[in-house]
Amino acid sequence: MIKFTISVIVLTLAACLVQQFLPAITGLYGARVLILTLVFLCCSVSVDFAPMLLLAFICGFLWDAQHTLGPQGGDPEIYSNPAESLRFGYSIILYAMMGLLMQGIQPLFRRGKWHISSILAGIAIFLYLFSEYLLLNFARGDFTFPPGVFYRIYLTSALTMLFSPLIFWVIFRLASTCRYTIRYDGLMSDRQYLD
Amino acid sequence: MKPQNLIALLLFIVGAVWALTRSERSVRSIQKSYYSAISPFLKAGSAMETGASEFIQEVEHSKMWETKYKLAKEELDEKRMEVAHLRKLEIENAQLNQALTFQQKAPFHVIAAKVIRRQPSTWWRTVTIDRGDKHGVGVQLPVLSPEGLVGKVDAPSIDTSTVILLTDEKCQVSAKVEGTPEVGIISGQRGLTGDSPSLRLRFLSKEAKIKPGMLVFTTGRGRLFPPDILLGTIKSFDSGPLFGEALVKPAVDFGALHTVFVKIPNPLDSP
Repeated sequence: MIKFTISVIVLTLAACLVQQFLPAITGLYGARVLILTLVFLCCSVSVDFAPMLLLAFICGFLWDAQHTLGPQGGDPEIYSNPAESLRFGYSIILYAMMGLLMQGIQPLFRRGKWHISSILAGIAIFLYLFSEYLLLNFARGDFTFPPGVFYRIYLTSALTMLFSPLIFWVIFRLASTCRYTIRYDGLMSDRQYLD
Repeated sequence: MKPQNLIALLLFIVGAVWALTRSERSVRSIQKSYYSAISPFLKAGSAMETGASEFIQEVEHSKMWETKYKLAKEELDEKRMEVAHLRKLEIENAQLNQALTFQQKAPFHVIAAKVIRRQPSTWWRTVTIDRGDKHGVGVQLPVLSPEGLVGKVDAPSIDTSTVILLTDEKCQVSAKVEGTPEVGIISGQRGLTGDSPSLRLRFLSKEAKIKPGMLVFTTGRGRLFPPDILLGTIKSFDSGPLFGEALVKPAVDFGALHTVFVKIPNPLDSP
């Protein structure tokens, strides 16, 4: 259990590094593959509640460390209406909510229905990006939702979802190497579906 | 809920509250540590990208030479290819000269920086450059190109910096329209896609006599950007209920940014 948890944390950190080299695709409305988010979602369905929260904290923290923008600066008399930023740490909460969503289908995942988890990962990413954009609008005011934003969210979710079988395969390999059985605590029987 | 899950949840809430209540200074410190940790990977990745593009160019050149060999007996075609190649070199030479001249002739101290990563985030328009604290790059410093204003430094780490582009809503610049007394605030627009989306020039007067094609420059007010740096050209003007607003085409092609210049404080100016 501890070995597997450490392995998925290392996998998450590796995904954070890989994320640096995944560019936005200009031809697809700036869509990109969110590999860090995907690895978190796939891991969160395969671990218990407490490690999921730990992963959510790590991912949200790293995400915000990379993306949080500083204040406008300059003379406040000239720049009297600065565009607000989202507060450092908000991603931790969003990641935890996505993780909880994934934990909800853990029984199905345990029964080997990983493809449902893949679809839910895509839906979770869509909801995550949509919430992030709504938060941004809330912080800055003047609600705008151009069609490009919808396409960017949709295409990012769809593109990222396509990689989920690969991530699940890596997680199963890790579980097998660490002799960890991906199990659901809520079930009474001790049957092992995934070794 | 199991006791250990409850404890984990409480610890998570404490951690999240801790993160959400960090001051601006400690967030900057966290970001600096983060970027210092990943900058070796970013630089290695950028070097690999350069190597790959050089390899592709080499392959393309090999093909070109193969074609030239096949057409060696056809003197006319060969000469045409040579001329085309010379023209390419001439353009490259002109671009390099332009960058060098900009650095030499700029009326302020600038350092050249290479763009090593583009648009790393979903919603912000930023790039990462290979110059940081140790090269004298500090927060909020203007970033320029020979064509005009690129943006400003947002988060410098030891040897890399994040630059927030002019096309982002967060990068606001005090701007004036050439040939008019009009002064406003220019910034990017939320959620727009493409390499160089239009900028919004707000807080103009309703009766402003602004026509498409007029140039927009920085005013130098607001203590962030030097005056008279080109921002773009007016595309359209709309007199709203309170203020006039213009759409501006950026002067810089943000999709083709390779080398930029960071305006650093003049060492002679400091006490």
